[in-house]
Amino acid sequence: MSQRKKVRVLNGPNLNLLGTREPEIYGSATLAQIAEGCIRLGAERGLDVEFLQSNHEGQLIDWIQGAIDHCDAIVINAAAFTHTSVAIHDALRAYKGYKIELHISNPHLREEFRHTSYVAPAVDAVVAGLGVGGYALVIGLLGEVL
Amino acid sequence: MKVLILNGPGLDDLRRLDSSFDKELTLDRIEEACGALCASYGIDMTFRQGDVVRELFDWVGRNASEFDALIINPIGYYSYEAYETFEKYRSAIKVLAHLKKPVVEVHISNIFRRGAHLIEPLREPDAQIGFICGLGLHSYLLAIESIAQKANLKGSAS
Repeated sequence: MSQRKKVRVLNGPNLNLLGTREPEIYGSATLAQIAEGCIRLGAERGLDVEFLQSNHEGQLIDWIQGAIDHCDAIVINAAAFTHTSVAIHDALRAYKGYKIELHISNPHLREEFRHTSYVAPAVDAVVAGLGVGGYALVIGLLGEVL
Repeated sequence: MKVLILNGPGLDDLRRLDSSFDKELTLDRIEEACGALCASYGIDMTFRQGDVVRELFDWVGRNASEFDALIINPIGYYSYEAYETFEKYRSAIKVLAHLKKPVVEVHISNIFRRGAHLIEPLREPDAQIGFICGLGLHSYLLAIESIAQKANLKGSAS
């Protein structure tokens, strides 16, 4: 039996409001529903999925650091910190496992202040604009490639 | 369901990509894998690549509306001419996006890592365009999966 791979899914500020905040952009699913779907799909694909959310930059950084030597992959939706946080960029660079930036909407189609991502150059891949379904797609992908 | 997968200038030879990604990856291999995945969902796939700016653009303009979804890798390498193509794509993409047909932009490598902002993501405000980069062959496959997911298609493999 091969060991189950560990995937840490990190969600940044305001994603706890999912389902109620601008549903025309972010959809009607709640973060708890998305978490449940990711954990269940991960289990089917041989992945242990940890699904976390914080509104605090430092907490997200602690979780990224905690994944070093501990998790096989990070999926990060840093939300608004994507466009501001050099500290999250640095923490991600220190993490050598597989890492994917994820967004529900496509930031490049939105306001100009969302066009720059400090996360993107520090990760392996970017997935955006696929709706909340993007979470399940990325977990499915990790089930194949890890 | 009919899906058009369009590959822009330079993508016939993936060795040009300044990526340490997957040296064995060829466009033929991508086409083959996309074809197999589309078939498993009952999707009718058209896969094209073009280097000649005007021809490709004309073809897209003539045919884009016949397809239910578009997956587009706009560019393989940067050149002035290719940048113009990139601008010209936008009108065809706009047509599909505003008809609420799924459009997904894909890149094999992480274009933000390649640095210097040589390739910029498509920017079409008010359109719904998915974006995937850095997954190699899987950038295309994930785009197909997302289109199948949106259309509630069930794969024969799952």
